[in-house]
Amino acid sequence: MASVAAPASSAAAPLLSGSNKAFNDKGKPMEVRLSNMVAAKAISDAVRTSLGPRGMDKMIQTPKGELIITNDGATILKSIQALHPAAKMLVDLSAAQDVEAGDGTTSVVVLAGSLLGAAEKMLAKGMHPTIIAESFLKASQKAVEYLTEVSMPIDIRDNSALLRAATTSLNSKIVSQYSSTLAPIAVNAVTRLVTPTSSNVDLRDIRIVKKVGGTIEDTELADGVVLNQNVIVSHGGPTRIEKAKIGIVQFQLSAPKPDMDNTVIINDYRQMDKVLKEGRQYLLNICKKIKAAKCNVLLIQKSILRDAVDDTSLTFLKKLGILVVKDVERDEIDFLSKSLGCKPVADIEAFTEDKLGYADLVEESSNSGVKVVRVTGVKNPGRTVSILATGSNSLVLEECERSLHDALCVVRCLVKKRALIAGGGAPEIHVSRLLSQYAQSLKGMEAYCFQAYADALEVIPTTLAENAGLNPIAIVTELRNKHALGERYAGINVRKGLISNILEEDVVQPLLVSTSAVELSTETVCLLLKIDDYVQAR
Amino acid sequence: MSMNIFGAEATEEKAENARLSSFVGALAIGDLVKSTLGPKGMNKILQSASSGDINVTNDGATILKAIQLDNAAAKILVNISKVQDDEVGDGTTSVCVLSAELLREAEKLIAQKIHPQTIVEGYRIASAAALRALEKTAVDNSADPARFRQDLVNIARTTLSSKVLSQDKEYFANLAVDAVLRLKGSTDLEHIQIIKKVGGKLTDSYLDEGFILDKSIGVNCPKRLENVKILIANTSMDTDKIKVFGARVKVDSTGKLAELERAEREKMKSKVDAIASHGINCFVNRQLIYNYPESLLSEKGILTIEHADFEGVERLSLVTGGEIASTFDRPDLVKLGRCDLIEEIMIGEDKLIKFSGVAAGEACTVVLRGSTTQMIDEAERSLHDALSVLSQTVKETRTVLGGGCAEMLMSCAVEEEARKVTGKKAIAAEGFGRALRQIPIILADNAGYDSSELVSRLRAAHYEGRSDAGLDMNEGKIGSMKELGVTESYKLKRQVVTSATEAAEMIIRVDDILRATPRRREAV
Repeated sequence: MASVAAPASSAAAPLLSGSNKAFNDKGKPMEVRLSNMVAAKAISDAVRTSLGPRGMDKMIQTPKGELIITNDGATILKSIQALHPAAKMLVDLSAAQDVEAGDGTTSVVVLAGSLLGAAEKMLAKGMHPTIIAESFLKASQKAVEYLTEVSMPIDIRDNSALLRAATTSLNSKIVSQYSSTLAPIAVNAVTRLVTPTSSNVDLRDIRIVKKVGGTIEDTELADGVVLNQNVIVSHGGPTRIEKAKIGIVQFQLSAPKPDMDNTVIINDYRQMDKVLKEGRQYLLNICKKIKAAKCNVLLIQKSILRDAVDDTSLTFLKKLGILVVKDVERDEIDFLSKSLGCKPVADIEAFTEDKLGYADLVEESSNSGVKVVRVTGVKNPGRTVSILATGSNSLVLEECERSLHDALCVVRCLVKKRALIAGGGAPEIHVSRLLSQYAQSLKGMEAYCFQAYADALEVIPTTLAENAGLNPIAIVTELRNKHALGERYAGINVRKGLISNILEEDVVQPLLVSTSAVELSTETVCLLLKIDDYVQAR
Repeated sequence: MSMNIFGAEATEEKAENARLSSFVGALAIGDLVKSTLGPKGMNKILQSASSGDINVTNDGATILKAIQLDNAAAKILVNISKVQDDEVGDGTTSVCVLSAELLREAEKLIAQKIHPQTIVEGYRIASAAALRALEKTAVDNSADPARFRQDLVNIARTTLSSKVLSQDKEYFANLAVDAVLRLKGSTDLEHIQIIKKVGGKLTDSYLDEGFILDKSIGVNCPKRLENVKILIANTSMDTDKIKVFGARVKVDSTGKLAELERAEREKMKSKVDAIASHGINCFVNRQLIYNYPESLLSEKGILTIEHADFEGVERLSLVTGGEIASTFDRPDLVKLGRCDLIEEIMIGEDKLIKFSGVAAGEACTVVLRGSTTQMIDEAERSLHDALSVLSQTVKETRTVLGGGCAEMLMSCAVEEEARKVTGKKAIAAEGFGRALRQIPIILADNAGYDSSELVSRLRAAHYEGRSDAGLDMNEGKIGSMKELGVTESYKLKRQVVTSATEAAEMIIRVDDILRATPRRREAV
């Protein structure tokens, strides 16, 4: 019986496929795959030119008409508004690298594009996508192994190593000429927060206060705390207080307003006076209570329901000699109370001296047209850092902030995983060389995939050379040659335009940036490779 | 002259047409999900037409739920796949594909002028035989904890190998088994919380005991608290307003306004005092806690967590054993939640709150990391499938072999049975056997192997008596599934066969499709 069944099913197959031809189209999966690859490569090409120290910047016009100038991959891709699903995934990929490592957001996308290109060639040869995907994942594990092997463990207390890594990251940004200013800031900011046992740093404890005016060179790591807001001077209040007692208030200094709807009914004109007088009395009471608690610097939280502080109370406060800063956002409160060592007060009755923070000096200083409020000599400072970033215009300033953020992330990576590797395309070539050697020890399609993976890694040095205006083929082949001769740290010296020992040039990057770029991009490429259909859903 | 029997726009498809339309619809669905079957199955992109969001998945139920259909038979297949998802959690693709294959066979039989009812009869005989064979081969290892655990790991690995997590299946299989064993026999997956955070790679995911809430601790509160008594509440912490429409206060001076304001504050303060009188040191509210009550609470040394969402509050109440309170007049009646430790932890760039040592000891949290949201979403679905299969297996402990082995076994049993049957039913029963054999064929096809060669060898192996033979998808040859540890839940397989047969029978018996007049929409 069994022998009858088999031919029957095979005989029936052509008959059936005729009736369902529309659903049995083998061409479609390939088409979907290719369309994914085209879209993903378009994305990676879009950011490709911004890779490396000689990378170009992009000008992005947002739908609102604002301008962004950047060469940060994650920022470019976020604003690109990709439509194609595969393109969207690459945008996500870059965002993930931003979260994980903070830097290398361009490299990760370029690498993914190159891997897809390699996969495409192999698909054209008729290899099964799942085999490619699996081999790629294995290759990435191997690559991470090789990267770890070539890395140099560092001591977190060794500032010079951190400094070199931060400088390398900053060198590929628009603000590269200021890397000597910004790198120490980033390193010091993170090291202030690090304890010997910590394995991570919360970057929210580092606050970058941006002020337009001055140049990037004036950017500094503030001693103490810098406020986003300015002192209110419209009523002639003080702008400098020594031996300051700082209070953060979350209640409002304006006419009372209960949560219930209310109307004040005035029957005759005498009552008008009374209303005004009582209003003033009410505010005066509050101000007196503040003074009674010996507070002389008042930070007032923004309120959406009513004025946080009004003219009358400002006048009173001025007379009492209290410096006032308003419009403190609610999410800043946590940071400020932590760094100033004070507790926020939500009700005037609870306003007591023990909730205040103490600082030697609160001063609004004016420096090349920038007015900044600084709080120095805080008595019980928390583990927080303020960085005052200045720049000649908001575009530069924004980019400066992004670059600084990347540099901070680089230093943080070193806290997470305390090892450095060389930059300048050296590790990529190293891994590529070892992988292709390893591929020769393998059999079957896997060997082919490993070889393709190794070749795809060369995209990083190739792009570095291309962007620097060098001859990519000449440079990459020479680099390969040097590595084959055993110079593990030979890399592209972009400034001089030649191959040299990249460690001597102090071009180094955290191991985590490279390993996470390799891992994340491979993961995404594999997910993309396994897609064979595209369904319009509800 | 023709008369209108049905209302305008109502349509009827009869006999051949009806059958053709249901077969075409069901086969289309089967072919759509076919390529996602098995360890080398492909993914699909689902793009939402309304929001443009994308989803990458190879979970049959997810794909089928998402597509829009206008075919009655296709909808039946979608439904059985959903039922499979609810009942067992995995095998959603298999059930759909098997059903479609049964219909494909039925279509051929009908072309041979066999009456649909006869086919149904034959299918019933065959499915009974198949289920008997399946039950006979099922193994129960629940008596031996070590071997049972190995079974569970094997099942998890088999389930996961067909998903996005396949590369890290060892890791996740152990993770899922640990999570399920913590449940101690309960199938309530609510206790296993899955938190998704972009960044990192899949193997950075981990299982953590206790409960993690993706919120932040209030200002000025301790970031670490031991021996915690938690009051979970859903109450508004701005002001208890008098909720009468148009209620307003009329006063004649600002002073009175100030008094009113003060009164409101006092009211809040008494509410906070009522809350504090529960003897708690942690207060979790579903709604916002405003500055004033927050500072009052923190002064009393109570840790506050605001805006914890419906889901968060409910889970928290589940795992800590506390009740969700909204009035605070009777502290003695409110059940408080308990846990040993609350602390702030960092995952990626975000700070989250971890409750460890909770009252419901079985509760745990899986933190998933991955390179893209699509990746994590898919990982979550895969993990969920594995977890639900495992939790079902803990209840129904029998297991069968996977890799096309069980299907081939059933197919052989059906063929044996068909020989004993007299009449046309026998042909239908044979058809059932062929349909079962399609599953290993598709598995091999998806992996890019020569399916006809492999599957005929597999069948030969089974007839030779190697009843554990199946497809070794890594090597592309026949192997012993027992040695490879490719195991599946008996319940899952049984459910696949029974629901697929039922659905196929139902569709075969249809000979008339009536479509009611679409409901008139009001003119736009």
